[in-house]
Amino acid sequence: MSKLGSILLEDSPGKRVLLLGNEAVARGVFEAGIGVVTTYPGTPASEIGDSVSLVAREAGIYMEYSVNEKVAVETAAGAAISGVRALSAMKHVGVNVAADALMTLAYVGVRAGYVIVTADDPNCYSSQNEQDNRYYALLSSLPMLEPSNSQEAKDMVVHGIEISEMLELPCLLRTTTRVSHTRNPVTLGKLQKARVKGEFERNPRRFVMVPANARIQHKILLEKVKKAKEISEKSIYNQILREGKEIGIITSGVSYNYVIEAVDALNLEAGILKLGMSHPLPEMKISDFLKKYQKIVVVEELEPYLELHVRAFAKDHAPETEIYGRMNTDLFPKFGEFSTRLVVEALAKITKKKVPVEFEEIDKKFAETSKLLLPRPPVLCPGCPHRASFYVIKRATGGKAVHPTDIGCYALGIQPPLKIGDVLICMGASAGTACGISKVIEEPVVAVVGDSTFFHAAIPALVNAVYNKHRIVLVVLDNLTTAMTGHQPHPGTGLTGLGVSGKRVLVEDIARGCGVEYVGVVDPFKVKEAIDVLKKALMHDGPAVVVFRSPCALLVTAEKRRKGEKIVSARVVAEKCTDCLACVKLLGCPALVVEDGRVVINDALCVGCMLCASVCPYDAIKLEVE
Amino acid sequence: MVEEFNVVLAGVGGQGILLASQILGIAALKEGLNVVVSEIHGMAQRGGAVVSHVRMGSKVYAPTVMDGKADAILGLEPLEALRNIKYASTETLILVSTETLVPAGVSVEPINYPRLETILDAIKGFTEKIVLVDALKLAREAGSVITRNVVMLGALAATKILPLKSEALKETIKELVRPAYLNQNLKAFDLGLNEISKLF
Repeated sequence: MSKLGSILLEDSPGKRVLLLGNEAVARGVFEAGIGVVTTYPGTPASEIGDSVSLVAREAGIYMEYSVNEKVAVETAAGAAISGVRALSAMKHVGVNVAADALMTLAYVGVRAGYVIVTADDPNCYSSQNEQDNRYYALLSSLPMLEPSNSQEAKDMVVHGIEISEMLELPCLLRTTTRVSHTRNPVTLGKLQKARVKGEFERNPRRFVMVPANARIQHKILLEKVKKAKEISEKSIYNQILREGKEIGIITSGVSYNYVIEAVDALNLEAGILKLGMSHPLPEMKISDFLKKYQKIVVVEELEPYLELHVRAFAKDHAPETEIYGRMNTDLFPKFGEFSTRLVVEALAKITKKKVPVEFEEIDKKFAETSKLLLPRPPVLCPGCPHRASFYVIKRATGGKAVHPTDIGCYALGIQPPLKIGDVLICMGASAGTACGISKVIEEPVVAVVGDSTFFHAAIPALVNAVYNKHRIVLVVLDNLTTAMTGHQPHPGTGLTGLGVSGKRVLVEDIARGCGVEYVGVVDPFKVKEAIDVLKKALMHDGPAVVVFRSPCALLVTAEKRRKGEKIVSARVVAEKCTDCLACVKLLGCPALVVEDGRVVINDALCVGCMLCASVCPYDAIKLEVE
Repeated sequence: MVEEFNVVLAGVGGQGILLASQILGIAALKEGLNVVVSEIHGMAQRGGAVVSHVRMGSKVYAPTVMDGKADAILGLEPLEALRNIKYASTETLILVSTETLVPAGVSVEPINYPRLETILDAIKGFTEKIVLVDALKLAREAGSVITRNVVMLGALAATKILPLKSEALKETIKELVRPAYLNQNLKAFDLGLNEISKLF
């Protein structure tokens, strides 16, 4: 077993280990006696499911990569309703997908503990937006816990299950990227044996949400919120961590870490109230804290969620207290993530103290160097089959089509020279937006979607295209894995989260089943054949699906390394090369480098996919062995 | 007792920044220190700029280093060292691998990658304490270019500013690196250590 795997299942309470926030959540699964874990991978949540997947079979629990977050929540809820503890993990936007289930699951509740992890992504490190999912707790009336480090991430899984069972409600656990992807020391707790078999007790009044029952269950939910508030008032996670004279600070989650260092850096005598249970908020505890200070600062990333509540509580309980936050100052931006510097500067302004570092001088010097800083954006890997697919699309369409794109590595296709990607919204939206665009413009619409994303959310839009006769071509970039998030399996791979074979579901079978009349499957590295298949799809009167199937280059090279096979790279035959730079200009592969006007292939990067050879007009690129 | 010691590791996706950070973090825990290691995963890894923060000590909470507060910056690529130079003060030690990597994608247009001397001059505007490491050469000598990250860890250990023993780092390397690659990584560490020890 891997090192992480053995830590996750090690029964040595008190031992200190270094864990990523996400790994700590996974450890929490085994300390909380959770029997069913479901997830759909998405950064920054992915390592939760992956870590559980490593050891689920050995631990004797059930784990699955569900087809999307809604199904993940429904599956886990099914288990929790039937008396088995469960956890689901997803990124923040995944909760949007699951929201329909979530909102009414709150009425139904659970019989065994159920924790839903939402990993938010301030600064959009790997996301299409930076929405603040604390509002889902408010919207659904569900309790929410917010860890600020790995230790709390683990402990709050256990505590979340306790709260969930006390209230018979799912409990939300919200992390942010800097909690999910930060390693901290964690003291291990006791392992709990999971119950994996439950029983379904029929109770239609509670579990069948027809209107008559839903009206009653809503009232029951509101009663549970009152009880949750009592829990919040007493929670050890809603804690005054420092008493001070000058100023009071209210914070939660990752922001607490910046606050405590900023307070030390400024030598402030500040009181700090840290709110680890951020829904429902402890009104009395917060109000007592407000009464002690003339000035209160609310430090939280993204939306003014705490601030709105704090202002409301202050109006009733401490009207004299001045409150500083993003609603009345510009010290805390409503976008991006915080840093110690940002909090230091804000607190310094509010308390009229001098900052301990000459930040302005640093900024001035840094601005002078910025002209040297060439951008280094992420790019499609050398050997990536998406590069071949995009080249084929450009050739087949003559560059005249509109290309809705989707969530995955292939979003990197927007960069020159390929520039495939005209609109990107959310999972599956390539197919949906293509329907509308095709209805109102004359140019062809060729949408691209990844394999995992196709299964996740594109199928209903494809059925819509068939039913309503939208003339779109949906290109499914099938690289046989969920590449961007770390190579998780999906229905098209036929492997499951337990590492055993499931039934393989093929994209082309689904497309035909949906009623698509033109379905092509081709390897995009067979450039001529692929262009031909796509051209036929473009001529087809009605929706068409083309599957470009070729495995992710990272998987191919990893497999070769594992087998001890040599990775043979391409080379330029100097006497044939005319320095036309067609390969470079058409493909933008990182392994093709121009030195003094000549193309050189970087053999440390090239994996020998030979796409460049197939676009070279002079047959000047060969495999190293030839 | 160490209160705060900050290392910023900067480089390009694929250079092993995450492994190097994890080695520092676990070694610090072995030495009984509190530690925070902050990484960026996902989209940022596909050949793009990568940075990670390793912070040790009793007063450390935040995942990232405050501007001007790094004790050391480990640059696996010169331009990436410069990209993170705002974490430096005049006291900060900058270790730079001299191997330059031209950003992919910009190679379609004429390349304006600055000369190494220009980058180093810009870094000198922040701190004079610069140590150049020919990590590529030493990694080749160790058996594989992929050990550049560990060469740089050896170089960092040689500067004696780390609140960690070299043995703790080597023990951690033994735990984390797969057996097939272990010897070349240990050799890479020693080569970096010996080369830079001459300067300190």
